[in-house]
Amino acid sequence: MNFAPFEIDAATRAFWREVREFCDTEVTPELREQIWIEDSYHDQALYKKMGERGWIMGRWPRERGGAGLTALQDKILHQELDQAEAPVFCWGLTTLILPAVLQFGSPEIQAEVVSRVAAGDARFFLGYTEPDSGSDMAAAKIRAVRDGDEWVINGQKMFNTGGQFATHHFLLARSDPKQKHRGLTMFLVPLDTPGIELRPIKTISGERTNFVFYSDVRLPDRYRLGAEGDGWNVVNGPLSAEHGVAADLSGLGEISGIGAGFTKRLFDLVHRVAEYERSIGRADDPLVRLRLAEAWLYAEASRNSPAMLGRVIASESFQKYSADLIDLVGPAAVVPRGGPGVVAEGWVEREHRFAQGTAIYGGTTDIFRNMIAQHVLGLPRPPKPAVASTN
Amino acid sequence: MPEMDMVVRRNDYSLSPEQEEVRDLFADFFRSEVPGTRVRAAEPLGFDARLWKQLAGMGAISMGLPESQGGAGSSMVDLTLVAEQFGRTLAPVPLIETVVAARLLSRAGAADLLDQVGAGERILAPALLPDDGTPQLVAAGAVATDAIVLSGDKLVLVSLPAPPPHVINQGSAPLAWWDFREGERTVLSSGARARAIYEDAVKEWKLLTAAALAGCGAVATRMAVDYAKVRMAFGQPIGTFQAVSNALVDSAIAVEGAKHITWKAAWFYENEPEAEPQLVPMAFAYACEAATRAVTTGVHVHGGTGFMLETDITLYFLRVKAWSVLAGDPKSELLAIADALFAEKPVPVLA
Repeated sequence: MNFAPFEIDAATRAFWREVREFCDTEVTPELREQIWIEDSYHDQALYKKMGERGWIMGRWPRERGGAGLTALQDKILHQELDQAEAPVFCWGLTTLILPAVLQFGSPEIQAEVVSRVAAGDARFFLGYTEPDSGSDMAAAKIRAVRDGDEWVINGQKMFNTGGQFATHHFLLARSDPKQKHRGLTMFLVPLDTPGIELRPIKTISGERTNFVFYSDVRLPDRYRLGAEGDGWNVVNGPLSAEHGVAADLSGLGEISGIGAGFTKRLFDLVHRVAEYERSIGRADDPLVRLRLAEAWLYAEASRNSPAMLGRVIASESFQKYSADLIDLVGPAAVVPRGGPGVVAEGWVEREHRFAQGTAIYGGTTDIFRNMIAQHVLGLPRPPKPAVASTN
Repeated sequence: MPEMDMVVRRNDYSLSPEQEEVRDLFADFFRSEVPGTRVRAAEPLGFDARLWKQLAGMGAISMGLPESQGGAGSSMVDLTLVAEQFGRTLAPVPLIETVVAARLLSRAGAADLLDQVGAGERILAPALLPDDGTPQLVAAGAVATDAIVLSGDKLVLVSLPAPPPHVINQGSAPLAWWDFREGERTVLSSGARARAIYEDAVKEWKLLTAAALAGCGAVATRMAVDYAKVRMAFGQPIGTFQAVSNALVDSAIAVEGAKHITWKAAWFYENEPEAEPQLVPMAFAYACEAATRAVTTGVHVHGGTGFMLETDITLYFLRVKAWSVLAGDPKSELLAIADALFAEKPVPVLA
């Protein structure tokens, strides 16, 4: 057990300074404002500059396009960019998916994309969810039919976030309609392949997500990841990483898996509202103190809840307390940024909308409870209901 | 560029081999020595004199004292691990109260009593609320001949020839009313130092009790999970129903979080007590809430069986509420958390 500060050596301190200067220069207030107003949370010019410094795959050696960072330097890099609200959405998903490409991709596809990932030129997004399947992602219907050295793909995906910024789609497709999990095959599809169309979906968070339509898309077989019918195995690594199945026990990361990001947002929100209440002279109001203390307590409790457990409490605490803090602040809390009398630069208004999605994407909190029940507590699986008769 | 804030902390919850050894030693001891039957046999007083002697023999009472005073110099992190194991079996001994009181005496320079205390011959009860001039229901007060109370600006040891009468209570805790105006009074310390020593003792009691409650909640959850695996209804184990399994998941989330936040609070208390003053109140408030949830759900999942006095889950249910309330309303911790939030200091960075 250790929560002491890391010793920061001279090289790391110099690196830290470099990152701060980068953020000060590149992540300007104007850029942050533009990102907020346009709800476009990836700035490609900024991302390319990260790529030029080797920061996208920061831990990789320079000869592979990385920056040879230590694990601590990489943590500092992530922390500073996050703190600066740097709009680099593609970073997370691309690095989440890349290990599957490295493990299962053909030599040709690796030659084509890997160095471009490090440079910021290749960017991936997830292609799991469809109109009829979300948490039950192995029910995917989008059809991939083999035709010689190519695949012909038809169907649609939905809620595939970040597609408008990406170059490649990490596509889960059905190659065999007779089987469920064994009938799936994974592909890394270049988005400029003819027949692919993205259409935007607006959400209450303000974030844009997408439909992705495939119409007679002809994809060379080299873009297949893993064997035909082995898609569930290929997707397992990125899926487990996204779910935060294993708590990070290295001492460098958060133990709460994907909950860590939501917890950070709740934590920041509590402190923003505390500053606001202080600024209007309500810091001594017992009700203000109690409500903020409870919200802060739940942010800290979420942070201390490991892996899948952390995701559930983090999302649900974020939902509950983002709503509670609107009540605390009062009607001005629902005025968005730019509106007259907006509070805390619109954060309270926005986070309440944003929090809702965190309990849905990446597998809903309901699915997580089932996974925890079976895999952490060892409870028996719920029986599958008999197929309802249509009468 | 300001570099004062160039701090990034470790976030390492792993136990060292030595910490695992301490945990396992006490886990084995409590598991083998304190079955539910022994907990019941000690009711209603909640004190097993033989178990107390056994723990004294292991050095458990004095382990938090410096080696020069007969202890093992154990840290609050180690003591937290022990308290968690103590809580898991509901061992009927005033371990937390006496460990905390012994450390208080040590800090107050009253080392002459410590040999007797460590040997299990003299039980000390810390009054968890400052003296307000009226009698106080004191934890471990029915088995102690000495209580320690903050009276005004004085830290006072109040000694009686024999413990006051036990007060029957829901949690079978050795509670007794103490009137601090009776008995022999020895001033241990006064002024700001007295208050600081007393406040540290209360914090330590809250940390160790939080750990015990987390252990209690974990076992209650495990009992209910085991029951849900075998209890059949409508032709299937009740654990297959999501209404049941998801409630148990919520218990598990709460008690796992409570355990970790208590570890973290203990680490900061031990190593950097000024750095994160909200953590001890957070750990205590959250552990009380988590354990209450776990035992309530645990009883409920057992159905009518969980309502029967002879079922062991009831032992946990009955103790959790008593332990939670011994120092007053646990929700009052929110006030201390708010004090830290609004204290004049830079906005902390989640790092």
